[in-house]
Amino acid sequence: MQPTFRTGASRHVRRLAPLAWIGPAIGLIVFVVLLPVVLMFRTAFRNIDTVGFDHGWAGWLNFRALFKEPDLGAIVMRTIVWVVVVVAVTVVVSLALAQLFHQRFPLRRVARWALIAPWAASVFMTSVVFRWMLNSRSGLINVFLHDIGIVHTLGSSQADWLGRPSVAFWWMVGVAVFVSVPFTTYAILAGLQTIPGEVYEAARVDGADGWRSYLTITLPLLRPALTVAVLINIMNVFNSFPIIWTMTGGGPGDKTATTTIFMYQIKASSIGESAAMSVVNFGIVIVLVAFFVRASRGTTQVDG
Amino acid sequence: MKRRVLLGTAALGAAAALVLSACSSSSPGGSSGGGGGNVTLNLVGADYGSGPSNTTTKYWQNIADAFHKANPNITVNVTTINWTDYDTKVKTQLQNHDYPDILQGEFFPQYATDGLIEPIADAVSNPNEGISVFKDQFSVKGTQYALPFVTSARALFYNKLAFAKAGISSPPSTWAELESDAKALKAKGYIGYALPLGPEEPQAETYLWMLGNGGGWQDSSGKYTINSPQNIQTFQFLKKLVGEGVTEPNPATYNRTANAGADFAAGKVGMEFSGPFLTATIASAGKLTTSDYATAPIPGKNGPVSKTLGVADAIQVFKTSDAAKQKAIKKFMDFALNNTNQLAFAKEYALLPGTQSALDTLKNDPVLGSFVQTLPNTVLFPQSDNWTATVLPAIKQEIGTAVTGDPAKVLGELQAKATSGS
Repeated sequence: MQPTFRTGASRHVRRLAPLAWIGPAIGLIVFVVLLPVVLMFRTAFRNIDTVGFDHGWAGWLNFRALFKEPDLGAIVMRTIVWVVVVVAVTVVVSLALAQLFHQRFPLRRVARWALIAPWAASVFMTSVVFRWMLNSRSGLINVFLHDIGIVHTLGSSQADWLGRPSVAFWWMVGVAVFVSVPFTTYAILAGLQTIPGEVYEAARVDGADGWRSYLTITLPLLRPALTVAVLINIMNVFNSFPIIWTMTGGGPGDKTATTTIFMYQIKASSIGESAAMSVVNFGIVIVLVAFFVRASRGTTQVDG
Repeated sequence: MKRRVLLGTAALGAAAALVLSACSSSSPGGSSGGGGGNVTLNLVGADYGSGPSNTTTKYWQNIADAFHKANPNITVNVTTINWTDYDTKVKTQLQNHDYPDILQGEFFPQYATDGLIEPIADAVSNPNEGISVFKDQFSVKGTQYALPFVTSARALFYNKLAFAKAGISSPPSTWAELESDAKALKAKGYIGYALPLGPEEPQAETYLWMLGNGGGWQDSSGKYTINSPQNIQTFQFLKKLVGEGVTEPNPATYNRTANAGADFAAGKVGMEFSGPFLTATIASAGKLTTSDYATAPIPGKNGPVSKTLGVADAIQVFKTSDAAKQKAIKKFMDFALNNTNQLAFAKEYALLPGTQSALDTLKNDPVLGSFVQTLPNTVLFPQSDNWTATVLPAIKQEIGTAVTGDPAKVLGELQAKATSGS
């Protein structure tokens, strides 16, 4: 009996051994990912006053208050436009840039390094710099636009780009593209380098010209890299906080806020409602990612 | 390679554990130290300075050091928070149940209703030392929970140099005069009237305008009247001013201190509503001398406003079960609120003191004297439970859009928010 028992015990120990290695990772997921999610859902259903006291169960009260917000519809629409436009423009620009950086040319290494700069700089700093450059009286961009005759009077409403919500939003889209392009370009560049040269040679023998070989060879073979790049960008851009917060604070009012910014804005008046907004945001991200993963998985199977 | 990944994971795990333990280390009772006779008090205050050179941390640290010298067993830790982030940071701190012992800045009725703070009678030796006009504002159900620490009253500031250039002899006393003066100032290249409705403090700016038309945030019985016909009319007038280009083009993004105050001090602004603190901004900018500008009563629709807005920032004491600590807090409060310290604060930031005895000594002050005279006869912000908690944040965020969008709609939405819970 004893030998069997001993082997049984050691088998148990052996079975538990991997836990020592994956334990930290599991702990990390539980405490850094799952626990906050649970707390977020809990907060959304509690009646918490402004100084953080919990006055009990609130039912759907926070969600009802959230959906009664008169501007919520506009904010959700703006968020969709924000994500779609920023990601689409980023990917198109990055595809072109990656193609350029894939060519051999003198000082290519330097150019590739330069591209990292907007990525390496803190997004917050980049946004602050852009806010200053857009200052209505003395911003660098405004002075330049004034010199070339586009801005007529410094300090006027026209020069106050960030004060007018309709224009401010597009300036911020521009900044968001600016900071997203480096990562996306590198992801695509990495994808380009995995495509073997023989494939292009074969295509050339068959008589495919540059544009055609790009559409039928490069793009399909780039799909894994593009999938990763788009997916990460969607989540990043949807959750993007520092750009809008530093440049306009979502203002005037909430006229340039996305749902992420709006969540932060209403936190000042109602923590529960803000948590409800978080839950909605969480749902949106899950749905977006699920759609995208599904769509891309389908196509890779067809290719494979 | 694999090994490195594992090490990385372990490091992340350790980091997470550190973060978690850091979060939980602030125990609900705050720091205690009563055991060995040594007491440590945590003071959190707002920062009234414009930068590191005149930060309020210095002011409090001087008091804390002097106090520690006289009472070697009591140490006071000082933290100050920039006004821009004050709400967020204090709320976050309290939501994490990390309570300070003394909190200077805003008074929330919830502090009292949640049982967090002491009635002021238990926190200082002389609970009646505060300026009496603010007593109700800091009371909940008849009990006073905070003292006014620093106060101010608002007036019209006008740039005399600009007025001379535009050929205006006296400050406006009605809206119509203000409008025509602003146009004349604009013609000379000035911002006629600076209208700071950015999120910093639009509740004061708009309130002064509402008062000029017999309106306000609430009626005399404490019911919200944000979208009353008078207020809508007031905002239509402001919208007209903005449309005529005599203000900054986008008031909703134009803040009181960083924009309007700085622009006035730089001599770019003809008129604006402000408080005594603006004199400090003007002095430090060094562009205008004290004879280049003056103050006048707030103009109303048909004549000057009889009662201007009085604003007080509070100081309050959090409850503690430790008797030695409670005693130390009381001792420190009495020390911090003595005339010398109150007047030092008033002088440093060109504000008015919160205690009556300190205020009395400033009656004939050349800069602050006129504000001292008006202070006892002022109107205050609403005292409803939900004012600071939910209404004010919404106003700060949204009200600026009322002068570019539809006033009735914006005010109506704010009114709905203010009355939804009651």
